[in-house]
Amino acid sequence: MAPRTRKAAASSSQDYPHPQSDGSPPEVPPKDQTSAVVDVDALLAPVPGEEREEVKVNNASVTDMKHACDDALKRFLSRPDLFKQIHTHTDVRLALGWLSVLIAGATGLYGWKVPFEQSKPAVWAGVIAYVVLTIAQTLYSYFIEGDIVFVGKRKTFDKRIVTERITITSRPTPSTPQTPPGYALALTYVRSAAGGKTLLGKGRAQEERPFTAFFDERGVLDQDAFERWVGDVVGRVMDGKAQ
Amino acid sequence: MFADELKTLRRLGVRHVLLQVLNFVSVLASGLMIWKGLGLVTNTESPIVVVLSGSMEPAFYRGDLLFLTNPTDARYQTGDITVYKIPGADIPIVHRVLETHDFPPNNKGAVAASPLVQKQYLLTKGDNNAIDDIELYQGLEWLERKHIVGKVRGFLPYVGYVTIAMNDFPQLKYALLGGLGLLALIQRE
Repeated sequence: MAPRTRKAAASSSQDYPHPQSDGSPPEVPPKDQTSAVVDVDALLAPVPGEEREEVKVNNASVTDMKHACDDALKRFLSRPDLFKQIHTHTDVRLALGWLSVLIAGATGLYGWKVPFEQSKPAVWAGVIAYVVLTIAQTLYSYFIEGDIVFVGKRKTFDKRIVTERITITSRPTPSTPQTPPGYALALTYVRSAAGGKTLLGKGRAQEERPFTAFFDERGVLDQDAFERWVGDVVGRVMDGKAQ
Repeated sequence: MFADELKTLRRLGVRHVLLQVLNFVSVLASGLMIWKGLGLVTNTESPIVVVLSGSMEPAFYRGDLLFLTNPTDARYQTGDITVYKIPGADIPIVHRVLETHDFPPNNKGAVAASPLVQKQYLLTKGDNNAIDDIELYQGLEWLERKHIVGKVRGFLPYVGYVTIAMNDFPQLKYALLGGLGLLALIQRE
C-alpha cells in the first residue's frame, strides 16, 4: 500500500475533469497534484483538423484491421509529450532473429566451401546453434511478449521525478453470427517515483469495440474516433488512485 | 501498384522494415538449415537428388526425386542403387552396383571386425544401359566408397520436374524468389 500523503487524500475526492464531448481540452483546475493528470487528458484528446495520411486496409481481413489499429495506437501514444515507446521486445526479437539468420548463412557458406566429411563438426555446431536460437525466439515471443503491442514510459517532474509506465495488449475478438469482429484492448499502468521505489498509482483497464466502430465500408480507419476511444481508456487508467 | 503498402512501410519506420526483411530471410535460413541438418543425419552431402537421365528405366524415370543415405556401418552390396560423383565431373550419376570387391586390411594377420574399415571397390551399370560404367569413370578402374554420395532408400515420382524446370529456366527461379520476397515483405503475421 503506497503511503497516502495529505495532498493525495485531499485530491482523491475531487472529480477529475474529462475531455468535453466536442473534443475541446477540459478546464484547468487550480494547480496541485492533479495538474499532471489534467495535462495528459488534454494531450489524450485528438488534435482536430490535423492533416493526416489516410489509413486504408482490407476490411475483410481481421489481421489487417488489427495491425492498422495497433499502428494507430502506437502513433497516437508515441507523441512527444505522451509516452516514449520502449522497444525492448522488438529489439530482442530482431537480435535473436538476425543472429540465427547470420549463423545459418555462415554455416551454409562453410558447408559449401569445405568438403563434406571435413565440414561435419562445424555444420553440426551451426545447425544446433540455429535450432537453439529458434526455440529461444519462439519461447520468448509466446511467453514473455505474448499479445503486447505497446510499452511506453513517461517521466514528468512534479516536485519529484514521476515515472509512468504503460503496457498495452490487444487481441482481435472473433465474429459471431450476431456480432462483428472486435478489437479488445487491455492496459496495465504503473506510476512510481524515486526511481520506481515508491508506488504512486496503479491501474488496469480492459475494453472492447467492434471494428465497425472505426472502419468504414471502404476500409478507411477513422483515426479521430479511434484516438478518442484510446485516449478515453488511457485517461481513465491513468486517473486511477494508488492502491 | 503497391502504393498503400509502400506508404505503410515508410510510416512504420526502420524497426518494422527490419522485421519484415527478417521474415523473408528467416524462411530462406530455415530451409537451408533443414537441408544441412538432413544431410548430417543421413551422412551425405546431398540427401535428396533428382534423376536427370533415363538410364535407370523402368525403375526411375527422368524427374523422379530420390532420397539417399550413406550408412557408415554397412557395406554396399550388389543390387544397391547408388549415386556417385566422379572427381572432375559435376553431375552425380544414379546407377546400380554390379560388382563389389572387398579388401580387408591385412594387419599382422588379423582381419578387422568392422566392415567400415574394409575397403570396397565397386562397379556400376545403369539398368537401361547396354554396357557398364567404365567409360564414365574417366580413367578410374573402380569406384571407391569415397566417390559414393549415397544409397537410394526411397523415391517420389514426377516431383523432381520442378527442380529441372528451375534449372533449365533460371528466370523461373528468380521469379519465385522475388515473389516470395515480396509476399514476406508486405504481409504481417
